[in-house]
Amino acid sequence: MKKTTSYKAKKRTVNILVHVLLAVLAIIWIFPIAWVIMISFRAEKGSYTSSFLPKSFTLDNYKKLFTDTTVLNFPKMFMNTLIIAIFVCIISTIFVLAVSYCMSRLRFKVRKKYLNIAMILGLFPGFMSMIAVYYILKAIGLSEGSMVRVALIMVYSAGSGLGFYIAKGFFDTIPKALDEAAFLDGATKFQVFTKVTIPLSKPIIVYTVLTSFLGPWLDFIFAKVICRANADYYTVAIGLWRMLEKEYIDNWYTCFAAGAVCISIPIAILFIYMQRYYVEGLTGAVKG
Amino acid sequence: MKKSKKALALLMAATMTMGLAACGSEDEGDKTTPTPQGSSGNQGDSTEKKDVTLTVWGPSEDQNAEQGNWLPTMCDKFNAEHPEWNITFKYGVCPEGDAGAMVSQDPTASADVYMFANDQITTLINANAITKLGGETADYVKSTNSEAIVNSVSVDGNIYGVPFTTNTWFMYYNKSIFSEDDVKNLDTMVSKGKVAFPLNNSWYFASFYVANGCTLFEDGFNEAAGIDFAGDKAVAVTNYLIDLVANKNFVNDADGAGMAGLRDGSIGAIFSGSWDYNSVKEALGDNFGAVQLPCITINGEAKQMKAFAGSKAIAVNPNCKEPQVAVALARYLGSPEAQQSHYTSRSVVPCNTELLKQDSVKNDALVIAQNNTFNNTSIIQPFVSAMSVYWDAAVNMANGIINGDVTHDNATEMTDSMNAAMNNNGL
Repeated sequence: MKKTTSYKAKKRTVNILVHVLLAVLAIIWIFPIAWVIMISFRAEKGSYTSSFLPKSFTLDNYKKLFTDTTVLNFPKMFMNTLIIAIFVCIISTIFVLAVSYCMSRLRFKVRKKYLNIAMILGLFPGFMSMIAVYYILKAIGLSEGSMVRVALIMVYSAGSGLGFYIAKGFFDTIPKALDEAAFLDGATKFQVFTKVTIPLSKPIIVYTVLTSFLGPWLDFIFAKVICRANADYYTVAIGLWRMLEKEYIDNWYTCFAAGAVCISIPIAILFIYMQRYYVEGLTGAVKG
Repeated sequence: MKKSKKALALLMAATMTMGLAACGSEDEGDKTTPTPQGSSGNQGDSTEKKDVTLTVWGPSEDQNAEQGNWLPTMCDKFNAEHPEWNITFKYGVCPEGDAGAMVSQDPTASADVYMFANDQITTLINANAITKLGGETADYVKSTNSEAIVNSVSVDGNIYGVPFTTNTWFMYYNKSIFSEDDVKNLDTMVSKGKVAFPLNNSWYFASFYVANGCTLFEDGFNEAAGIDFAGDKAVAVTNYLIDLVANKNFVNDADGAGMAGLRDGSIGAIFSGSWDYNSVKEALGDNFGAVQLPCITINGEAKQMKAFAGSKAIAVNPNCKEPQVAVALARYLGSPEAQQSHYTSRSVVPCNTELLKQDSVKNDALVIAQNNTFNNTSIIQPFVSAMSVYWDAAVNMANGIINGDVTHDNATEMTDSMNAAMNNNGL
């Protein structure tokens, strides 16, 4: 009798401790996000307030962000980034999946070498080649005017073929037996890829789509080097950074928070839409 | 396999030609120091209109209809005044402070005429992205600006830009808290009300040390002299700052704390520049005051604080295809008319000596504060290369003073190590 109560009590204390710990961690993680959202609705101006919580709330920061295009044209930057992100998302998802499929299923001479080269190249930070990339883009005439968008799309999607390791690992777990069955039925390699492999790898497709969509929203350094003085083609990252410079910070700080909230919206929508595919996976693929 | 080899070869060829092209234009840039002709000299052959395309870079505020559209307006006027040229302008956005990084990234594909802050001058010269101005334009710059401003755009006796404004910081204060006599001395001020100062910002930090006779590169131009923040004069300042920070009326202005305090009335004075003018005016209303820097009392003597000052100027790119037109435009953008229009549209304080004598300009509180600071209570911010190590060393010292690591007991030692860090050339 005594034993069971002590066991129960022990279990309860452990549970309480675990939940307290989780609650504390949850607060720590969620707090900065909640704070940014709060700042984005703050009515008081300036980058610093003496009170921790805003004294009054307003929607003006969002209004200003999208209507006051005098110094920083945020709506335009937002559209630029969205366009770039959509193209990058499509191109690099195709790249990554195609390369992964080849690496996982096909056997050819340089496969091993290629895997090693890709691994080593992947170890170098991308911005190392920044200036070289700029000069190459300039040489082919992509550094001025509306071609800047094309240049940015190329920069963000071109290297994605190297990031195939995760998707390849996933493809490796899909039983070869499925491919063989399809081949017996007369399918080509491409048909196997589109009809068998892709439907079975939705989680990894979702992952690839999300990471490649995120790239242009988060990247600052390439956008800065490639856009230079072409303000019409700035992405949100440059705009948000400009808002914090000493000339603007006092007027634009709350708008900066509003901008940060706004860029999370397309990403959140995409994630919510794709989330349902996360749970679907290999269930019922191979019987017996 | 073959195809990829071909592509690789093409790519390499492309990059090599790029490299060569860059070298070629650099050499050219060294040789051609365009000698601009005055507008009158060109009028002779005005029968034939010459088509010219110029790229002009400036901050976005100057290209905005709601703030007067200063840059395009001036460029169009310039075009109208010169019938001999038919100029097509292309505009780009580049804040003055970013010019060093942005233009020197690729001078061959940058603006022909651009605006820059004078502390970028060394970077721009090293990248061969800025032209020496000679002849009439140089004389014009010398004759229409004070000597300090001319020095701020000169290196080794050569003038590199047409200045259009001064760039420094001064003091804003609340007239209901401090009287006009109070604002002459910082110690009087902190005994009466709260004062915010961005101490751990190295642009502001040096003002205390310079007040007590410390120097940076002698007069700012002698790189070999180094930074002299050592000895008794510097230790006295360190001790002064330790006491100042301990004063409950002193607030270190970080993350906008000063401006917030000014808004809610808890702080009576902040140190900032013309970029905060509108916000301060809005916060203080009728109690708005702006004035040159106060004195500080060290060992019983009043010493004048001295801000870093510089200028913003218009530069011409040596890679420009039409240097003559570009230099004339630069000169026009720095002319009294252009400065006057800049002042009306965006309150950019002019620096032309004639313009500053006009009543409409000289009675403006902002102009008075900024110019008095520039003339009486500032030193030219050094732009020699060795200056680059100053910034971090100063922030470290300031943080040490604020968080209490630097005390009266170790002030001498800490000041010496700051001085050593500021003169550390990395070898």
